[in-house]
Amino acid sequence: MDAIQLTHVTKVYHVGAVETHALNDISLSIGEGEFTALVGPSGSGKTTLLQLIGCLDKPDSGTVMIKGQDVTRFSANKRADLRRDSIGFVFQFFALVPVLTAYENVELPLLLSGVKPAERRERVTGLLRAVGLEDRAKHRPDQLSGGQQQRVAIARALAPRPVLVLADEPTANLDTANGQQAMEIMERLNKETGTAFVYATHDPRVISYARRVVKMQDGAIIDAGVA
Amino acid sequence: MLSKLWVLAYRDLWRNRRRTILSMTAVALGLGLLIVMNGYIAGVMDEAVQNNIRLNTGHLQIRASSYNVADMSLQWKDLISDSDQIAARAAALPGVRAAAPVLWAGGLIATVNDSVGLQISGIDTTSAFYAPIRDSVVAGDFLAADDRSGILIGERLANSLGIGVGRDVSLTIVDSDGQADEGIFTVRGLFRSGIPSYDEGTVLMPISKAQAFARADGRASSIIILLDSQEATDSVAAALQTPGTQTLTWRDLNQTFLQTMEAGLAFYYILDLIVILIVAVIIANTLLMSVFERIREMGILAALGMKGRHLTQMLLLEAATLGLVGVGVGLALGLGGVAYLTYVGIYIGDIASAAGSGVALSSTIHARFVPGTFAGISLATLVIVMLSALYPAWYAAHLEPVAALRG
Repeated sequence: MDAIQLTHVTKVYHVGAVETHALNDISLSIGEGEFTALVGPSGSGKTTLLQLIGCLDKPDSGTVMIKGQDVTRFSANKRADLRRDSIGFVFQFFALVPVLTAYENVELPLLLSGVKPAERRERVTGLLRAVGLEDRAKHRPDQLSGGQQQRVAIARALAPRPVLVLADEPTANLDTANGQQAMEIMERLNKETGTAFVYATHDPRVISYARRVVKMQDGAIIDAGVA
Repeated sequence: MLSKLWVLAYRDLWRNRRRTILSMTAVALGLGLLIVMNGYIAGVMDEAVQNNIRLNTGHLQIRASSYNVADMSLQWKDLISDSDQIAARAAALPGVRAAAPVLWAGGLIATVNDSVGLQISGIDTTSAFYAPIRDSVVAGDFLAADDRSGILIGERLANSLGIGVGRDVSLTIVDSDGQADEGIFTVRGLFRSGIPSYDEGTVLMPISKAQAFARADGRASSIIILLDSQEATDSVAAALQTPGTQTLTWRDLNQTFLQTMEAGLAFYYILDLIVILIVAVIIANTLLMSVFERIREMGILAALGMKGRHLTQMLLLEAATLGLVGVGVGLALGLGGVAYLTYVGIYIGDIASAAGSGVALSSTIHARFVPGTFAGISLATLVIVMLSALYPAWYAAHLEPVAALRG
């Protein structure tokens, strides 16, 4: 079954009098447990596509189905609920809450979901162990390296046990070793948890981890790849 | 969830310590200023009224129905004829500390070199009502009841006339027949009541002499009644109603002053409002700046599924923390200031006499604790702080996740 299905999706940005067609009539399906790379040059529409899949934005036309539901009809609150329960995010700029410790950052989506304290503790500890940061639980983001921050972000994305994790250029701000480590962790957790991962990148070393590669150019999919 | 939001709010506040401390200081100083100002005004009002009650009006007065204090009439129809009996009946009532007849006359005191218009009061020198004057004699002696030629004047009046104890002065009044009468009196003593206007404008003499001097034939202008407790005013007044007389309470007797002060209070209310609005603008600015600085972070929170209402709650918790700490410190500062002004006071010296003869201001003004007012101002400050957070909170709640993530 498809975790996500986009049908004839279009997104146009208006900046003053200028119209930018970020996505042109995109249709794409992503199955459960996939490990998919969205690749293409800057401006090809990768980030916009991730934002639409992640219910952070709405398309101008077309439908986005997640777990069989057309999320384009959802209210802002319902989209927030869907993000909270079913979608994890890993951003290029790490995107941890700076005033919370690593433990608290991973715990935050569980608090939003109303997960009970004992289960929260178990999940957070397990995820921090899985990304190799058990001993950094009490450190705040400014006390962690870039690679460590991104690993905390991966743990946080997986905390609510989502259907899908979306990662936008997850290694762009990491050196080769840390980038490789982050990708290996994502790949391992994809296999262990069965959570689908879709990540945008234009780094050939990162693309090689994907089991499916979707190629984009000028707001269109030029090759949907094979899962 | 609320506890974690509070942790977020608390830590966010301390992210920019200097700004947070400055904002809290603004709340604290604003509230402290309001508390001191309101305590001071309450003190001025209360002290002036209490001074007037203690030295001039008492808590109650019984006068003839036709008596008008502005005229200080000495005509018999305007005076009370059976003043001693009324005073005795009043003194016998429970809660009455003293009841004494008094005769007032407008007059002129003159020395060889100078003359001053003032109020001449014929008083029952044995009454407890005049204990404060007896205690404030700074030179010479208090008056004996049978003194037929002695007067007591304020030290300030004596200084302005260049006279002292033992000096003779001329007093002139217009008596009950409308004739100007003049008499020579000897200054027996000088008092310093602490109320410049009283010390400059009052001559005291035994009531029997005053009645003879004014040809009042044993009559009095008023019976002054001092109570053990101000709260008993209305019940004692009700018990003293007599046909042909008017019973005036301390509120009636200080009506002009109280009305003037209440009109003046409007100005202070405006000042209160201005201070509170300044605090509100500072808090709104702090929180708005804080939101602008964290737009991307709010986008992350939104991406994680945090709803607008959670962001609103977080901002309101930040405002509540700012407000509560600011109000706490402001209360401490304000109460400290009020305590200082209550026990030490502010010396205003001659400014008190400039207030006029109707206002019994002391040379040193004290503040007063008014817990209800202080609680009201503190609550109002807290409410205003919370209200000023509404726009930043609304702004944060309505951020589009995608736009917020772009920063």
